Amino acid sequence: MRTVATESRKLTILVVDDEMIVRDSLGAWFREDGYRVETAENAREALRLAAEGRHDVAFLDIKMPGVDGLELQARLKEVAPDLAVVVMTAYASVDSAVRALKAGAQDYIVKPFDPEQLSALLRRIEETRALRSENVRLKSALDGAAAPPIVGRSPAMRRLLEVVESVAKTDATVLIRGESGTGKELVARAIHQQSARRYNPLVAVHCGALAEGVLESELFGHEKGAFTGAAYHHKGKFEQADGGTIFLDEIGEISPKVQVELLRVLEEKRVTRVGGKVAIPVDFRVVAATNRDLRAMAKAGEFREDLFWRLDVVSVEIPPLRDRREDVPLLAQHFAGCLGRSMNRRNLRLTPAALEALTECDWPGNVRELQNAIERAIVLGRKDEIDAKDLPTRPGGGAPTANARSLEELERAHIARILDETGWNITHAAAVLEIDRGTLYNKIRKYELTKPDHAA
Amino acid sequence: MPHDGPVLAVRLLRVGAVPQALLRDLAARVSMVASLPCRVGVAAGVEPVALPGRAQVDADRLLLGLEGLPREPGAVTAGVTDADMGSAIFTHHFGRARHGGRALVISLARLKPEFYGLPQDRGLLLRRASLEFLHELGHVWGLGHCRDNGCIMRFVPTVEGIDNRGTAFCAACASAVALPPALAPR
Repeated sequence: MRTVATESRKLTILVVDDEMIVRDSLGAWFREDGYRVETAENAREALRLAAEGRHDVAFLDIKMPGVDGLELQARLKEVAPDLAVVVMTAYASVDSAVRALKAGAQDYIVKPFDPEQLSALLRRIEETRALRSENVRLKSALDGAAAPPIVGRSPAMRRLLEVVESVAKTDATVLIRGESGTGKELVARAIHQQSARRYNPLVAVHCGALAEGVLESELFGHEKGAFTGAAYHHKGKFEQADGGTIFLDEIGEISPKVQVELLRVLEEKRVTRVGGKVAIPVDFRVVAATNRDLRAMAKAGEFREDLFWRLDVVSVEIPPLRDRREDVPLLAQHFAGCLGRSMNRRNLRLTPAALEALTECDWPGNVRELQNAIERAIVLGRKDEIDAKDLPTRPGGGAPTANARSLEELERAHIARILDETGWNITHAAAVLEIDRGTLYNKIRKYELTKPDHAA
Repeated sequence: MPHDGPVLAVRLLRVGAVPQALLRDLAARVSMVASLPCRVGVAAGVEPVALPGRAQVDADRLLLGLEGLPREPGAVTAGVTDADMGSAIFTHHFGRARHGGRALVISLARLKPEFYGLPQDRGLLLRRASLEFLHELGHVWGLGHCRDNGCIMRFVPTVEGIDNRGTAFCAACASAVALPPALAPR
């Protein structure tokens, strides 16, 4: 026979009392009401259980042999900072009540308990915790809502938006492919925002930026003491994404070890924290992204084939900007509008010549590079009109530094461009380059840069 | 521990000074609400134990005593006491039963309107007692508390709660256990 009330997601309670009758009776009463309950007969046992991070609230008896309830309350704060604490006693005193409440206890209750008061206390704790998680969820949803829209009217982008709309309605795993700077995270956010999970968190992990051990801990969490410096248990990104979407960017960069662990999590929908023993059930949707050819990597044995197939359920390809040049003017005007508003220059506009120059550019860094170019032109320019000469573009090429091979070539090209953009104003150029004027003069001499006749 | 097979009958036993007529009327109501044959008797040998320093009897020990009484297969032993019941942990209990146990106990003390300074009302007392009996019988069947406002298995800490709570099992609770046909939700 099952207990009906336990089906709903309710608090997990830790009852700490040296008297068995209290542990048993209180535990049974909570369980009868559908709560999950664990009990401990002393502080040592309580600290061990609390460190596993499963509990929402702990009921602590004050009078216990060894470490008493008030001292335990202080120690619990170190191992489980989010745990709500209710202090209970058969020997009420003003002193102990003040100490407990000052130390952050939710309540101080006296045995025997009035069922009505105890029931109301649990409802209050439940409401507080629900409000807290709702707050986190709404903040996350607001972050998602603030994401910029996907801009583009080219046939390629229209097809992409159609795919995003259809796939968002499902819970299928999505693999987004595209060169750097094409807006893979933007597409992931669009999928999340159009899905039924939109009111739950979207958690992004940039897998390529983290070392293997750090990535494991970030993704799966860790228990206290799992490694040097793990002073607290830590919920990983999968647990944080419970009910929502996890976005795994640069998935092609993860190590074989993490690939194995990730595959297990995707298959079982359960996460075991680093150093932990308990597999925690988690409800998430995966959207992954890469700028690499994962299929080829899988064939070459550089990426697990089973993980590739698990990720490549629905594949979304974002075309590079050079293959959809008709979107460049729209994107440029969109960025000029957004950046102009944020810099309080609301009348900014791009001249037809500027738009033409931008459209002819190849943009190897894609949308991100285009955005940076517009931003640079706004920052350095003083007029409301952005013309072709204000832009660091070369017809048919990317930014002038794009073809530089060595570091010196790159530095020479970059300094030349900044000098050009600032009209050879040395003070201004040095400030943009974040070097002093003397250094800039030295570099001009070293690279034999000369001021063109038309420069101011 | 699950109950040994379906509940086929109830033995309603007086613990202490419960008027015989009241017990008989309660048996008739219990028989009606639970749709089970109900016989009355005395809980011979079950002595209420007072809680130290409190004018109450220990509900847990009373339940233990009732569980120890001999009973026929399929029968549930239901004790009824006039005394106010409490426990080491709680200030009071309207009733007590163990999940999947074989016995239950209800206290009439806090079900009486006069406990709250109101005029006696025998009909109201019988209604409350029979509903509390049915709630505890739900625990004997293995049901926990339910969040459905209309379900008799909802936990209510006050007598007003008993008056306002539903008088039948909700569909979820009913589907969790094999209820007698008369108790299935309509």
